[in-house]
Amino acid sequence: MQNAMGDELNDAQAELVKAYRTIEDVLRNRAEELAPYEARNATKALAALWQVMNGLDMEPGQLYELGA
Amino acid sequence: MPTDLVGAPMTDTPYWNPRHETMPREQLEALQVRRLRALVEWADARVPWQSKRLRDAGVTADSIKTLEDLRRIPLLSRDEWMGAQLESPPFGAILAAPEEAAIRYHMTSGTTGRTPIRVLDSLKDWEWIAEMWCYGFWGFGVRPRDRVFIAFGYATFIGFWGAHYACEKMGCLVLPGGAMTTDVRVRTIVEMGATVVCSTPTYALRMAQEARSLGIDLASSSVERLILSGEPAGSIPATKKLIEEQWGAKAADTAGMTELGTIMVFECSEQPGGTHIIEDHYIEEVVDPDTDEPVPYGEMGERVVTSFGRGFIPVLRYRTRDYVVKVPANTCSCGRTFDIYDGGIRGRVDDMKLVRGTNVYPRAVEAIVREFPEIDEFQIHLYTAEGIRDEIEVLVEIPGSDEEADADRIVNDLSRSLAQAHEGLRFGVRRAESGSLPRFELKAKRLLDERIVIGTEGERRQA
Repeated sequence: MQNAMGDELNDAQAELVKAYRTIEDVLRNRAEELAPYEARNATKALAALWQVMNGLDMEPGQLYELGA
Repeated sequence: MPTDLVGAPMTDTPYWNPRHETMPREQLEALQVRRLRALVEWADARVPWQSKRLRDAGVTADSIKTLEDLRRIPLLSRDEWMGAQLESPPFGAILAAPEEAAIRYHMTSGTTGRTPIRVLDSLKDWEWIAEMWCYGFWGFGVRPRDRVFIAFGYATFIGFWGAHYACEKMGCLVLPGGAMTTDVRVRTIVEMGATVVCSTPTYALRMAQEARSLGIDLASSSVERLILSGEPAGSIPATKKLIEEQWGAKAADTAGMTELGTIMVFECSEQPGGTHIIEDHYIEEVVDPDTDEPVPYGEMGERVVTSFGRGFIPVLRYRTRDYVVKVPANTCSCGRTFDIYDGGIRGRVDDMKLVRGTNVYPRAVEAIVREFPEIDEFQIHLYTAEGIRDEIEVLVEIPGSDEEADADRIVNDLSRSLAQAHEGLRFGVRRAESGSLPRFELKAKRLLDERIVIGTEGERRQA
């Protein structure tokens, strides 16, 4: 997996990117299936993982519409 | 049952983000261009007030090709920001996200007496605010094993809030020092075995003073590091030396702004005499405050900041009124490629006082006063004598002086040093009773201007 600058990510970094995308996808598309504690804790985790995405130059955009 | 430290083992590195902090300049600038383009696109799409300013200047995201294009974006002043806020209170037309997306409200400290700037941040923004502090803490050698005491009031001023969360994020044990008297803070630092203390430079000296009166020797405490912020004094060599001596610990300067939500510069463990700019998250320009033209490395100018981090309030080319001198990263041996503000924040463009034709900067006066460790506290007093003449005096507390002759010598020496550093300008230096001058927990305000006619050159007005 490469970042926006064309650098190759290592396997551990790539796994974190996948985790972020999985959480983001669930919150965008399946939030109504989540209890409040699930949704808000996942949102908090997404906000933290956004820093990883940003630091890896994956250009994650903004998350305000998800409450993050 | 307590065992060894828990937590995932990490790479041992002096850098919080090793790849960015050591990135070759060419790549770093390419990263800044990408991020600038995204920021312009975001501001243009979400903040009509910003969009109009950008469009009026002919700036679109697509038109950003190099860092030179940054200069096509109009400078933003505090007055403009404030104007937008007053037009549409309480926050103004500056928000890029709905207020409901925010989780926290803060405002500027208001030491200038002006209406404060009010800001909102979301969950992600707060994680980012802490992230910037992590660059500073980690870069100065703070690690998860540390116990960090934060001497701060924890209220609407944003201050050290981000530092608190950064330390939690790093895995440190945080000792929050809000709503405590100074003596309780000092005792807590010692009793809890704090290894790191966060405060303003002024308050670090105040705590050391309190420790002496309590018979506590801070130099023999477990404190190894101080993280200073909130005032330029953290980079004034004499003040810093005094703090380090009194605490028996290393002190690092940082600087931030409510307008950004967090710090934008930090001093690394090599202590190069300045602060590294966090250049993967900011573009920091230095311009001539009169012409707005960029000034080269090594020359003093005004900081202009563009921030990539806080999406809630996009900040593009905000003129800070801070004086700085930028020097290349390689003037520090730490290996970072982030440029440095030599001497940290040198002062404020609007701080300068004109006294009988001589420029006087409060920071320069402090640097000289701090060369006299016997002086506990001081205040600069400007007044009008005989209704016509500007006078400047410095009031000093010299509590440890048993002999009157010693105090007289300090007063005379200080008066001479101040005059020599200010083209012969006569400074009245007067002793004040111990404990009579104001003490400060946050931003110190040691200049009292009571002149009938006040102001700086070209801007004199009736008080």
